[in-house]
Amino acid sequence: MRRAPLMLTLALALFSAAAAAAPAPAVAPAAGGAHYTLDAAKSSLEFTFLQAGARNTGRFPRFTVTLDCGASEPAGGRLAVTVDVAALDTGDTDRDEILRGDDLFAVKKFPRATFSATHITKSADGYDAVGALTIRGVTRETHVPFTFREASEAGATVGYMAGKTVVRRLDFGVGQGDWKATDQAGNEVTVSFALRLTRAAH
Amino acid sequence: MTLRNTTQRWGVIAQLFHWLIVALLIVQVTLAEMADDLPNGVRKLSLLARHKSFGITILMLVILRLAWRSLNTHPPLPDNLKPYERSLARLTHGALYTLLFAIPLSGWTMSSARGFPVSWFGFFQLPDLVPKNHALYEWLVMTHVTLVCVLAAVVALHMLGALKHHFVHKDDVLKRMLPFTRT
Repeated sequence: MRRAPLMLTLALALFSAAAAAAPAPAVAPAAGGAHYTLDAAKSSLEFTFLQAGARNTGRFPRFTVTLDCGASEPAGGRLAVTVDVAALDTGDTDRDEILRGDDLFAVKKFPRATFSATHITKSADGYDAVGALTIRGVTRETHVPFTFREASEAGATVGYMAGKTVVRRLDFGVGQGDWKATDQAGNEVTVSFALRLTRAAH
Repeated sequence: MTLRNTTQRWGVIAQLFHWLIVALLIVQVTLAEMADDLPNGVRKLSLLARHKSFGITILMLVILRLAWRSLNTHPPLPDNLKPYERSLARLTHGALYTLLFAIPLSGWTMSSARGFPVSWFGFFQLPDLVPKNHALYEWLVMTHVTLVCVLAAVVALHMLGALKHHFVHKDDVLKRMLPFTRT
Protein backbone atom coordinates (compact mmCIF):
# COMPACT_ATOMS: atom_id res chain seq x y z
CA MET A 1 0.00 0.00 0.00
CA ARG A 2 2.46 2.62 -1.15
CA ARG A 3 -0.24 5.11 -1.96
CA ALA A 4 -1.85 5.20 1.46
CA PRO A 5 0.45 7.77 3.07
CA LEU A 6 -0.05 10.03 0.06
CA MET A 7 -3.83 9.76 0.24
CA LEU A 8 -3.73 10.41 3.94
CA THR A 9 -1.55 13.47 3.48
CA LEU A 10 -3.83 14.76 0.77
CA ALA A 11 -6.92 14.19 2.87
CA LEU A 12 -5.32 15.94 5.84
CA ALA A 13 -4.24 18.82 3.65
CA LEU A 14 -7.75 19.24 2.24
CA PHE A 15 -9.26 19.01 5.67
CA SER A 16 -7.01 21.64 7.15
CA ALA A 17 -7.55 23.92 4.16
CA ALA A 18 -11.31 23.61 4.60
CA ALA A 19 -10.96 24.29 8.30
CA ALA A 20 -8.88 27.40 7.63
CA ALA A 21 -11.39 28.68 5.05
CA ALA A 22 -14.34 28.31 7.39
CA PRO A 23 -14.84 31.43 9.50
CA ALA A 24 -13.70 30.69 12.98
CA PRO A 25 -16.59 31.24 15.36
CA ALA A 26 -15.85 33.78 18.06
CA VAL A 27 -17.13 31.28 20.56
CA ALA A 28 -17.96 27.70 20.04
CA PRO A 29 -21.74 27.44 19.97
CA ALA A 30 -22.03 26.20 23.50
CA ALA A 31 -24.70 23.88 24.67
CA GLY A 32 -27.61 26.01 25.79
CA GLY A 33 -26.76 28.59 23.15
CA ALA A 34 -29.60 30.44 21.52
CA HIS A 35 -30.79 30.88 17.97
CA TYR A 36 -32.88 33.95 17.29
CA THR A 37 -34.85 34.62 14.14
CA LEU A 38 -36.71 37.69 13.01
CA ASP A 39 -40.32 38.42 13.80
CA ALA A 40 -40.74 40.38 10.57
CA ALA A 41 -44.19 41.70 11.41
CA LYS A 42 -42.89 43.48 14.50
CA SER A 43 -39.56 44.67 13.17
CA SER A 44 -38.42 47.61 11.11
CA LEU A 45 -35.37 48.53 9.12
CA GLU A 46 -35.28 52.15 7.96
CA PHE A 47 -32.92 54.49 6.21
CA THR A 48 -32.78 58.25 6.31
CA PHE A 49 -30.91 60.59 4.03
CA LEU A 50 -30.86 64.24 3.09
CA GLN A 51 -32.34 65.22 -0.25
CA ALA A 52 -31.53 68.85 -1.07
CA GLY A 53 -31.26 69.47 2.66
CA ALA A 54 -34.57 67.80 3.53
CA ARG A 55 -34.78 64.57 5.47
CA ASN A 56 -36.19 61.66 3.48
CA THR A 57 -37.03 58.35 5.09
CA GLY A 58 -37.52 54.95 3.58
CA ARG A 59 -37.78 51.42 4.82
CA PHE A 60 -36.81 47.95 3.77
CA PRO A 61 -39.93 45.89 4.38
CA ARG A 62 -38.32 42.56 3.49
CA PHE A 63 -35.25 41.30 5.31
CA THR A 64 -34.12 38.43 7.47
CA VAL A 65 -32.02 38.35 10.61
CA THR A 66 -30.49 35.49 12.52
CA LEU A 67 -28.53 35.82 15.72
CA ASP A 68 -26.65 32.88 17.17
CA CYS A 69 -25.13 33.39 20.55
CA GLY A 70 -24.91 32.17 24.08
CA ALA A 71 -28.18 32.21 25.96
CA SER A 72 -29.34 35.81 26.49
CA GLU A 73 -25.93 37.15 25.58
CA PRO A 74 -25.21 38.54 22.11
CA ALA A 75 -21.52 39.16 22.89
CA GLY A 76 -19.43 36.53 21.19
CA GLY A 77 -22.28 35.57 18.92
CA ARG A 78 -22.90 35.84 15.22
CA LEU A 79 -25.34 38.04 13.40
CA ALA A 80 -26.48 37.61 9.82
CA VAL A 81 -28.75 40.06 8.00
CA THR A 82 -30.02 39.82 4.44
CA VAL A 83 -31.99 42.67 2.95
CA ASP A 84 -34.16 42.57 -0.15
CA VAL A 85 -33.04 45.93 -1.52
CA ALA A 86 -35.52 45.93 -4.41
CA ALA A 87 -38.39 45.99 -1.91
CA LEU A 88 -37.30 49.41 -0.62
CA ASP A 89 -40.14 51.81 0.06
CA THR A 90 -39.89 55.57 0.53
CA GLY A 91 -43.60 56.15 0.07
CA ASP A 92 -43.20 57.49 -3.46
CA THR A 93 -42.96 55.28 -6.52
CA ASP A 94 -40.88 57.76 -8.52
CA ARG A 95 -38.34 58.10 -5.72
CA ASP A 96 -38.30 54.31 -5.23
CA GLU A 97 -37.64 53.75 -8.93
CA ILE A 98 -34.75 56.24 -8.87
CA LEU A 99 -33.23 54.44 -5.87
CA ARG A 100 -33.61 51.03 -7.54
CA GLY A 101 -32.00 52.31 -10.73
CA ASP A 102 -28.60 51.38 -12.11
CA ASP A 103 -26.90 54.53 -10.79
CA LEU A 104 -28.00 53.90 -7.22
CA PHE A 105 -28.85 50.46 -5.77
CA ALA A 106 -28.85 48.70 -9.18
CA VAL A 107 -31.24 46.12 -7.77
CA LYS A 108 -31.38 44.05 -10.96
CA LYS A 109 -27.72 43.22 -10.59
CA PHE A 110 -27.50 43.47 -6.79
CA PRO A 111 -30.87 42.47 -5.39
CA ARG A 112 -29.56 41.84 -1.88
CA ALA A 113 -27.51 43.61 0.73
CA THR A 114 -26.01 41.61 3.57
CA PHE A 115 -24.39 42.19 6.91
CA SER A 116 -22.49 39.40 8.50
CA ALA A 117 -21.01 40.07 11.91
CA THR A 118 -18.75 37.50 13.49
CA HIS A 119 -17.40 39.76 16.16
CA ILE A 120 -19.89 41.06 18.70
CA THR A 121 -18.55 42.73 21.80
CA LYS A 122 -20.04 44.47 24.81
CA SER A 123 -19.81 48.25 24.75
CA ALA A 124 -20.53 50.96 27.29
CA ASP A 125 -24.19 51.25 26.34
CA GLY A 126 -24.91 47.91 24.70
CA TYR A 127 -23.10 45.94 22.05
CA ASP A 128 -21.01 46.53 18.99
CA ALA A 129 -21.25 44.23 15.99
CA VAL A 130 -18.33 44.37 13.61
CA GLY A 131 -18.69 42.65 10.31
CA ALA A 132 -18.85 42.72 6.58
CA LEU A 133 -21.51 44.95 5.09
CA THR A 134 -22.14 44.29 1.42
CA ILE A 135 -24.18 46.75 -0.62
CA ARG A 136 -24.23 46.91 -4.41
CA GLY A 137 -21.57 44.21 -4.52
CA VAL A 138 -19.06 46.20 -2.44
CA THR A 139 -18.03 44.83 0.95
CA ARG A 140 -16.72 46.99 3.78
CA GLU A 141 -16.09 46.41 7.42
CA THR A 142 -18.80 48.19 9.35
CA HIS A 143 -19.60 48.77 13.02
CA VAL A 144 -23.19 48.46 14.09
CA PRO A 145 -23.85 49.44 17.69
CA PHE A 146 -27.04 48.06 19.18
CA THR A 147 -28.93 47.41 22.36
CA PHE A 148 -30.40 44.07 23.27
CA ARG A 149 -32.82 42.96 25.89
CA GLU A 150 -34.67 39.76 26.39
CA ALA A 151 -38.24 39.42 27.48
CA SER A 152 -40.62 36.64 28.16
CA GLU A 153 -43.86 37.02 26.26
CA ALA A 154 -46.67 34.49 26.39
CA GLY A 155 -44.28 31.76 27.32
CA ALA A 156 -41.82 32.55 24.52
CA THR A 157 -38.45 34.18 24.90
CA VAL A 158 -37.99 37.15 22.61
CA GLY A 159 -35.11 39.52 22.08
CA TYR A 160 -35.46 43.20 21.28
CA MET A 161 -32.58 44.55 19.29
CA ALA A 162 -32.29 48.18 18.23
CA GLY A 163 -29.64 50.48 16.94
CA LYS A 164 -28.43 52.62 14.10
CA THR A 165 -25.34 53.25 12.10
CA VAL A 166 -24.28 55.75 9.49
CA VAL A 167 -23.32 54.37 6.11
CA ARG A 168 -21.58 56.52 3.50
CA ARG A 169 -23.34 55.46 0.32
CA LEU A 170 -20.45 56.38 -2.00
CA ASP A 171 -18.17 53.92 -0.18
CA PHE A 172 -20.40 51.24 -1.69
CA GLY A 173 -20.79 52.80 -5.12
CA VAL A 174 -24.41 53.73 -4.43
CA GLY A 175 -24.25 56.82 -6.59
CA GLN A 176 -22.83 56.66 -10.09
CA GLY A 177 -22.84 59.38 -12.72
CA ASP A 178 -24.74 62.47 -11.58
CA TRP A 179 -25.45 60.80 -8.25
CA LYS A 180 -21.78 61.00 -7.23
CA ALA A 181 -22.53 64.57 -6.24
CA THR A 182 -23.77 64.80 -2.68
CA ASP A 183 -25.63 68.13 -2.77
CA GLN A 184 -28.90 66.56 -3.96
CA ALA A 185 -28.57 63.24 -2.15
CA GLY A 186 -26.34 63.32 0.91
CA ASN A 187 -23.52 60.82 1.24
CA GLU A 188 -24.43 59.90 4.79
CA VAL A 189 -27.34 57.53 5.16
CA THR A 190 -28.53 56.63 8.63
CA VAL A 191 -29.71 53.05 8.85
CA SER A 192 -31.77 52.29 11.92
CA PHE A 193 -33.47 49.15 13.08
CA ALA A 194 -35.83 47.98 15.79
CA LEU A 195 -36.14 44.23 15.72
CA ARG A 196 -38.14 41.66 17.58
CA LEU A 197 -36.39 38.31 17.54
CA THR A 198 -37.91 35.06 18.63
CA ARG A 199 -35.65 32.59 20.34
CA ALA A 200 -35.44 28.91 19.68
CA ALA A 201 -33.22 26.79 21.89
CA HIS A 202 -30.50 24.90 20.08
CA MET B 1 -35.49 108.74 -2.35
CA THR B 2 -36.02 107.65 1.23
CA LEU B 3 -36.03 104.21 2.81
CA ARG B 4 -39.54 104.72 4.13
CA ASN B 5 -42.60 105.49 2.06
CA THR B 6 -43.89 109.02 1.84
CA THR B 7 -47.33 110.21 0.77
CA GLN B 8 -45.69 111.07 -2.57
CA ARG B 9 -43.93 107.83 -3.48
CA TRP B 10 -42.85 104.36 -2.39
CA GLY B 11 -39.59 104.23 -0.41
CA VAL B 12 -36.55 102.09 -1.18
CA ILE B 13 -37.65 99.21 1.05
CA ALA B 14 -41.13 98.92 -0.46
CA GLN B 15 -39.71 99.12 -3.97
CA LEU B 16 -37.13 96.49 -3.15
CA PHE B 17 -39.89 94.14 -1.95
CA HIS B 18 -41.96 94.81 -5.07
CA TRP B 19 -39.23 94.28 -7.66
CA LEU B 20 -37.48 91.44 -5.83
CA ILE B 21 -40.75 89.51 -5.82
CA VAL B 22 -41.26 90.28 -9.51
CA ALA B 23 -37.79 88.92 -10.29
CA LEU B 24 -38.32 85.82 -8.15
CA LEU B 25 -41.68 85.09 -9.82
CA ILE B 26 -39.94 85.06 -13.21
CA VAL B 27 -37.24 82.74 -11.80
CA GLN B 28 -39.95 80.49 -10.33
CA VAL B 29 -41.84 80.04 -13.59
CA THR B 30 -38.58 79.40 -15.43
CA LEU B 31 -37.40 76.77 -12.92
CA ALA B 32 -40.78 75.03 -12.95
CA GLU B 33 -40.87 74.91 -16.76
CA MET B 34 -37.30 73.59 -16.95
CA ALA B 35 -37.96 70.91 -14.34
CA ASP B 36 -41.17 69.85 -16.07
CA ASP B 37 -39.25 68.96 -19.23
CA LEU B 38 -36.68 66.77 -17.46
CA PRO B 39 -36.83 63.06 -16.65
CA ASN B 40 -36.61 62.06 -12.99
CA GLY B 41 -33.03 62.49 -11.88
CA VAL B 42 -30.51 64.65 -10.13
CA ARG B 43 -31.03 67.68 -12.37
CA LYS B 44 -34.78 67.70 -11.97
CA LEU B 45 -34.52 67.27 -8.20
CA SER B 46 -32.00 70.09 -8.00
CA LEU B 47 -34.20 72.48 -10.01
CA LEU B 48 -37.23 71.59 -7.92
CA ALA B 49 -35.25 72.03 -4.68
CA ARG B 50 -34.33 75.53 -5.85
CA HIS B 51 -37.92 76.23 -6.91
CA LYS B 52 -39.11 75.28 -3.42
CA SER B 53 -36.42 77.39 -1.72
CA PHE B 54 -37.29 80.47 -3.82
CA GLY B 55 -41.00 79.84 -3.20
CA ILE B 56 -40.43 79.90 0.55
CA THR B 57 -38.31 83.04 0.04
CA ILE B 58 -41.27 84.72 -1.69
CA LEU B 59 -43.55 83.70 1.18
CA MET B 60 -41.11 85.23 3.69
CA LEU B 61 -40.77 88.41 1.60
CA VAL B 62 -44.55 88.82 1.36
CA ILE B 63 -44.90 88.52 5.13
CA LEU B 64 -42.15 91.11 5.64
CA ARG B 65 -43.63 93.29 2.93
CA LEU B 66 -47.07 93.38 4.55
CA ALA B 67 -45.47 94.06 7.93
CA TRP B 68 -43.50 96.93 6.41
CA ARG B 69 -46.63 98.24 4.70
CA SER B 70 -48.49 98.27 8.01
CA LEU B 71 -45.66 100.23 9.71
CA ASN B 72 -45.56 102.86 6.98
CA THR B 73 -47.62 105.46 5.31
CA HIS B 74 -48.05 104.95 1.58
CA PRO B 75 -48.92 107.11 -1.40
CA PRO B 76 -52.71 107.15 -1.86
CA LEU B 77 -54.57 106.42 -5.06
CA PRO B 78 -55.07 109.57 -7.11
CA ASP B 79 -58.19 111.62 -6.25
CA ASN B 80 -59.55 111.68 -9.79
CA LEU B 81 -60.27 107.94 -9.97
CA LYS B 82 -63.82 106.79 -10.63
CA PRO B 83 -65.32 104.62 -7.88
CA TYR B 84 -65.13 101.48 -10.05
CA GLU B 85 -61.44 102.18 -10.81
CA ARG B 86 -60.80 102.60 -7.11
CA SER B 87 -62.52 99.25 -6.34
CA LEU B 88 -60.69 97.54 -9.17
CA ALA B 89 -57.33 98.78 -7.87
CA ARG B 90 -58.14 97.55 -4.33
CA LEU B 91 -59.36 94.21 -5.65
CA THR B 92 -56.28 93.71 -7.82
CA HIS B 93 -53.85 94.54 -5.02
CA GLY B 94 -55.77 92.33 -2.58
CA ALA B 95 -55.71 89.48 -5.07
CA LEU B 96 -51.96 89.90 -5.65
CA TYR B 97 -51.16 89.69 -1.95
CA THR B 98 -53.54 86.76 -1.45
CA LEU B 99 -52.02 84.83 -4.35
CA LEU B 100 -48.48 85.55 -3.19
CA PHE B 101 -49.45 83.75 0.03
CA ALA B 102 -51.56 81.03 -1.50
CA ILE B 103 -49.17 79.92 -4.24
CA PRO B 104 -46.12 79.19 -2.02
CA LEU B 105 -48.38 77.64 0.61
CA SER B 106 -50.03 75.35 -1.95
CA GLY B 107 -46.56 74.37 -3.21
CA TRP B 108 -45.29 73.68 0.30
CA THR B 109 -48.41 71.66 1.16
CA MET B 110 -48.11 69.77 -2.11
CA SER B 111 -44.53 68.76 -1.26
CA SER B 112 -45.68 67.56 2.16
CA ALA B 113 -48.55 65.57 0.63
CA ARG B 114 -46.11 63.96 -1.81
CA GLY B 115 -43.70 63.05 0.98
CA PHE B 116 -40.86 65.28 -0.26
CA PRO B 117 -40.13 67.65 2.63
CA VAL B 118 -39.06 71.21 1.87
CA SER B 119 -35.71 72.64 2.85
CA TRP B 120 -34.77 76.30 2.53
CA PHE B 121 -31.55 76.16 0.48
CA GLY B 122 -30.33 73.34 2.74
CA PHE B 123 -30.14 75.69 5.74
CA PHE B 124 -33.21 74.36 7.51
CA GLN B 125 -36.03 71.97 6.88
CA LEU B 126 -39.62 73.15 7.04
CA PRO B 127 -42.21 71.07 8.87
CA ASP B 128 -44.64 69.06 6.79
CA LEU B 129 -48.01 70.83 6.64
CA VAL B 130 -50.04 67.67 5.95
CA PRO B 131 -49.32 63.96 6.15
CA LYS B 132 -48.59 62.05 2.96
CA ASN B 133 -51.70 61.74 0.82
CA HIS B 134 -51.52 61.10 -2.90
CA ALA B 135 -55.06 62.23 -3.77
CA LEU B 136 -54.48 65.49 -1.91
CA TYR B 137 -51.14 65.88 -3.68
CA GLU B 138 -52.75 65.61 -7.11
CA TRP B 139 -55.45 68.10 -6.16
CA LEU B 140 -52.78 70.51 -4.86
CA VAL B 141 -50.74 70.26 -8.06
CA MET B 142 -53.82 71.35 -9.97
CA THR B 143 -54.49 74.10 -7.43
CA HIS B 144 -50.88 75.35 -7.52
CA VAL B 145 -50.91 75.56 -11.32
CA THR B 146 -54.38 77.14 -11.46
CA LEU B 147 -53.40 79.78 -8.92
CA VAL B 148 -50.31 80.62 -10.99
CA CYS B 149 -52.54 81.13 -14.05
CA VAL B 150 -54.84 83.39 -12.00
CA LEU B 151 -51.75 85.29 -10.81
CA ALA B 152 -50.61 85.78 -14.40
CA ALA B 153 -54.03 87.24 -15.26
CA VAL B 154 -54.07 89.55 -12.23
CA VAL B 155 -50.47 90.67 -12.94
CA ALA B 156 -51.52 91.51 -16.50
CA LEU B 157 -54.38 93.61 -15.15
CA HIS B 158 -52.00 95.25 -12.65
CA MET B 159 -49.55 96.14 -15.44
CA LEU B 160 -52.33 97.44 -17.69
CA GLY B 161 -53.52 99.60 -14.81
CA ALA B 162 -50.04 100.98 -14.24
CA LEU B 163 -49.61 101.75 -17.93
CA LYS B 164 -53.05 103.37 -18.13
CA HIS B 165 -52.11 105.63 -15.21
CA HIS B 166 -48.89 106.59 -16.90
CA PHE B 167 -50.04 107.10 -20.48
CA VAL B 168 -53.76 107.86 -20.20
CA HIS B 169 -54.18 109.57 -16.83
CA LYS B 170 -50.63 110.93 -17.08
CA ASP B 171 -50.23 110.69 -13.28
CA ASP B 172 -47.29 109.46 -11.20
CA VAL B 173 -48.75 106.09 -10.07
CA LEU B 174 -46.25 104.08 -12.14
CA LYS B 175 -43.29 106.37 -11.55
CA ARG B 176 -43.65 106.32 -7.78
CA MET B 177 -42.88 102.56 -7.78
CA LEU B 178 -39.91 102.95 -10.12
CA PRO B 179 -36.41 103.48 -8.78
CA PHE B 180 -34.25 106.21 -10.32
CA THR B 181 -37.21 108.43 -11.17
CA ARG B 182 -38.35 111.71 -9.67
CA THR B 183 -41.92 112.55 -8.85
